[in-house]
Amino acid sequence: MLMTNLNVVGKRVLRQDAYEKVVGGKGFPVNFSLPGMLHGKMLRSPYPHARILRIDTSRAEQLPGVKAVMTPKDVPQIPFNPIFFMPAGSMGIHRDMLILSDTVRFAGQPVAAVAATTVAIAEQALQLIDVEYEELLAVFDPEEAMKEGAPEIHVGVKNNIRDTPSFSAGDVEAGFKDADYIFEGTYETQRVHTCYMEPRVCVSDTDSNGHITIYSSIGHLFGLRERMAYVLGLPVSKVTAVQAPYVGGSFGSKIDFAYIEALSALLSAKTRKPVRFEHTRYEDFICNARHPMKVHLKTGIKKDGTFTARYASTLCDTSAYSTHGPEVILVHAYFGLMLGYRSPHMKWEGTVVFTNNMPGGAFRGYGAPQAAFAVESQIDEICDKLGFDPIEFRLKNTPRQGDPHPFNPEWKLNSYALDECLNKGAERMGWSQRAKTGSASGAKKRGIGMAAHPLWVSGCVGFPDIYEHSGAIIRLNVDGTAYLSSATMDIGSGQNTTLCQIAAEELGLAFDSVRMAPGNTDNLPFDAPTHASRVTYSSGNAVKVAAADAKKNLLEVAATVMEANVADLEVRDGMITVKGSPAQAMSVADVVKRAESPFMVIGAQGPAPTTLKEKGTIMGISSVAPPANASPAVAEFVEVEVDTETGQVKVLRAVYAHDLGRVVNPAAAEGQVEGGLQQGIGFALMEKMLFDPETGACLTSDFLDYKMPTAVEMPSKIECIFIESNEPTGPFGAKSLAEACLIVPAPAIANAIYNAIGVRIRSLPITPEKILAALGKL
Amino acid sequence: MKQLISLEVNGDTHEIAVEADATLLSVLRDNLGLIGAKRGCDSGGCGCCTVHVDGKAVYSCMMYALSAQGQEIVTIEGLGTEGKLDPVQDTFVKEGAVQCGYCTCGMIMTAKQLLHDDPHPDEHAIRHGIAGNLCRCTGYHKIVEAIKTAADN
Repeated sequence: MLMTNLNVVGKRVLRQDAYEKVVGGKGFPVNFSLPGMLHGKMLRSPYPHARILRIDTSRAEQLPGVKAVMTPKDVPQIPFNPIFFMPAGSMGIHRDMLILSDTVRFAGQPVAAVAATTVAIAEQALQLIDVEYEELLAVFDPEEAMKEGAPEIHVGVKNNIRDTPSFSAGDVEAGFKDADYIFEGTYETQRVHTCYMEPRVCVSDTDSNGHITIYSSIGHLFGLRERMAYVLGLPVSKVTAVQAPYVGGSFGSKIDFAYIEALSALLSAKTRKPVRFEHTRYEDFICNARHPMKVHLKTGIKKDGTFTARYASTLCDTSAYSTHGPEVILVHAYFGLMLGYRSPHMKWEGTVVFTNNMPGGAFRGYGAPQAAFAVESQIDEICDKLGFDPIEFRLKNTPRQGDPHPFNPEWKLNSYALDECLNKGAERMGWSQRAKTGSASGAKKRGIGMAAHPLWVSGCVGFPDIYEHSGAIIRLNVDGTAYLSSATMDIGSGQNTTLCQIAAEELGLAFDSVRMAPGNTDNLPFDAPTHASRVTYSSGNAVKVAAADAKKNLLEVAATVMEANVADLEVRDGMITVKGSPAQAMSVADVVKRAESPFMVIGAQGPAPTTLKEKGTIMGISSVAPPANASPAVAEFVEVEVDTETGQVKVLRAVYAHDLGRVVNPAAAEGQVEGGLQQGIGFALMEKMLFDPETGACLTSDFLDYKMPTAVEMPSKIECIFIESNEPTGPFGAKSLAEACLIVPAPAIANAIYNAIGVRIRSLPITPEKILAALGKL
Repeated sequence: MKQLISLEVNGDTHEIAVEADATLLSVLRDNLGLIGAKRGCDSGGCGCCTVHVDGKAVYSCMMYALSAQGQEIVTIEGLGTEGKLDPVQDTFVKEGAVQCGYCTCGMIMTAKQLLHDDPHPDEHAIRHGIAGNLCRCTGYHKIVEAIKTAADN
């Protein structure tokens, strides 16, 4: 049963950081500076594939104001991989990046760095560094990169094929023989950027003992410490990563360690001054992006609408380096492509290929948006061709609450309400009144489409599997308030508010009595990155455990002072009472005061001794693994209008239904859905990074050329339906939300376009050109 | 070669030496410590740096500080009175229009201009009015709602 007598959880409380952000937002990492700070800049290669023969920095070093210049020979040549959900030295991850390398593999890769007294001098110094390159042949198309004779991007990696993962269950060929119908199609997704608004920025301060303190916009505090230590060959205790109160967006990108963090630390060590780097927007655009994928999907279907066999192959361009490619393709395959729908026979084959493109990275959904576009588009094709209702069809082939996990039957799907998502969403959208495909008249045609993401997202895979325990510290103050500290980074979702709500609820305090107190890696317990739709669930659990610990300590002191049994006490809205006799009450503030008081207190009856048992700060601490990483379930319905004269598509309305276990803060939850839709519309219709085919230079490196949706492109109607299925392992029943909001929009929009004009587009983005071409008008 | 200029910002006069190519944004942030205007792209593409110059919302990254002399500059720090938030700031907080918050100050400055020019804009006018300010978190939904609420109040 979902607890209903909650005071804080489930309430539309106002975000604490919003008050600061509307008057300036001084806590953003971009505002951080230290006295005597120098400014760093990177020189970047104009070539996509080259060997550096010689670098002459002498002219740059002579420029007044330049304090240090670094080239590959000045930095540790320790290969690393910025992925964050395994320790840096783990077996099984490919380490092929260097802070500065004498081999360039993408246009824009840093080859040298400068620290100077001003940004302008640093930029001027870059112009004075002479680099002699030996140009090498480059390849940008992953299919070309696999051919015999293609340029070798990494020594010894034959045909540039980094990995060829695969899995199978049953006998897929036999499954196809059993099928009454077979559907086959190829679905392509493009390279898109997260477009966080605050640039990447960091300030490193290395002391004379070699200890590095770093302030950064990164979304993973402990990952930054660990990765920094690894690439510099230092013990982790030589690095302190300081938590910013909030960061201006990430959407996955900023959980990766970047060149700037290592370079600022090295330049700081060399100059003995703090060194700051701030990316230009061009640098942000070429830092990392979603991996483009090409998915071939073959599906066998019985007349009754059940699957007999599902086969898929995925080609993933992992770019110049193994940054996430070998990992994202697995999450994509298992939890995006294959396991969401039941089939007795399945097979998947993946290919991860190096090219001379800019690095791939994490982006909200982590491989699932690429998968969902294929799977959900094809289901729409199947339903259209065979006359199935897309909702009934999905319900027939998706799991049920209580189903065992395919990896381990002991793990059960505890809470799962996809059926409610589908049915309630359909009802709200008016699905039953949906017009027949292609029946709209006039030049502007409307259509309705839907897509689901039945099971598992990113790290929400039904079991705790990744490097992601969480911790929290709660400290009570003498005024009856509490500080909460957690190493998770609030990248904009409002998680700090959500975590404070969880703490307040557990402690029995009012929401505004709990405040987030930032810390650093020296004084906080480990927490995983802000990724994988995990913070409410995993950090939320840790916060609840720490709050329960603090509450236990609070009530033990209260019991002594109130001469009552701990078991008889309860705390609500800042007051501790004896159950059943509300007159026997004491405020939390008075109990904390008593615990922090001197050994003699002066009361109404004069001086009285206190006991040692009562003494000390009342606090709670936790460090726990997430219990199950429960799965959300999602369905989205959209209505579009397609202008068949111009090819323009306008999304008119979206209804998004999500089983998130429990809504902790409705406003924050709606914000995730609304923002996810903006990114989803961009992915579906507008966004694509473009590169010069000869030089590999990024052509969409500012917001004038990279088009993301503005307020004009967004529908005025975005409706959220939150299903509270009450996950038993989640804090107050909560599961997760963030990523699915961006997984379902693209296929839902593609399916709505098909409903409007009867044309199926299998590659994103669905531009006016593609629509007009498909309509035979180009 | 730096030049000594005088800028009037939020009612205060500042005498500062600036390079001829210094943008208003860099002078506000780096010389005057007015960090509400944000550097998002430095190329007139995102609107995070929006401030008012003589009553007009401008991208401060696209204006030289030199050319802002003699004009009245208002930044987010100049909104509100006596410790109270401006009504638009207040509705942004209350409507949940702030997520990561990096676009927020620029968005509020644009919204102020919009409401000054048209105190009762319809939704179409609001959406087109803020189309020069990008946000990646909110889908603009609660921002539009906040501006509507501010107009109604």
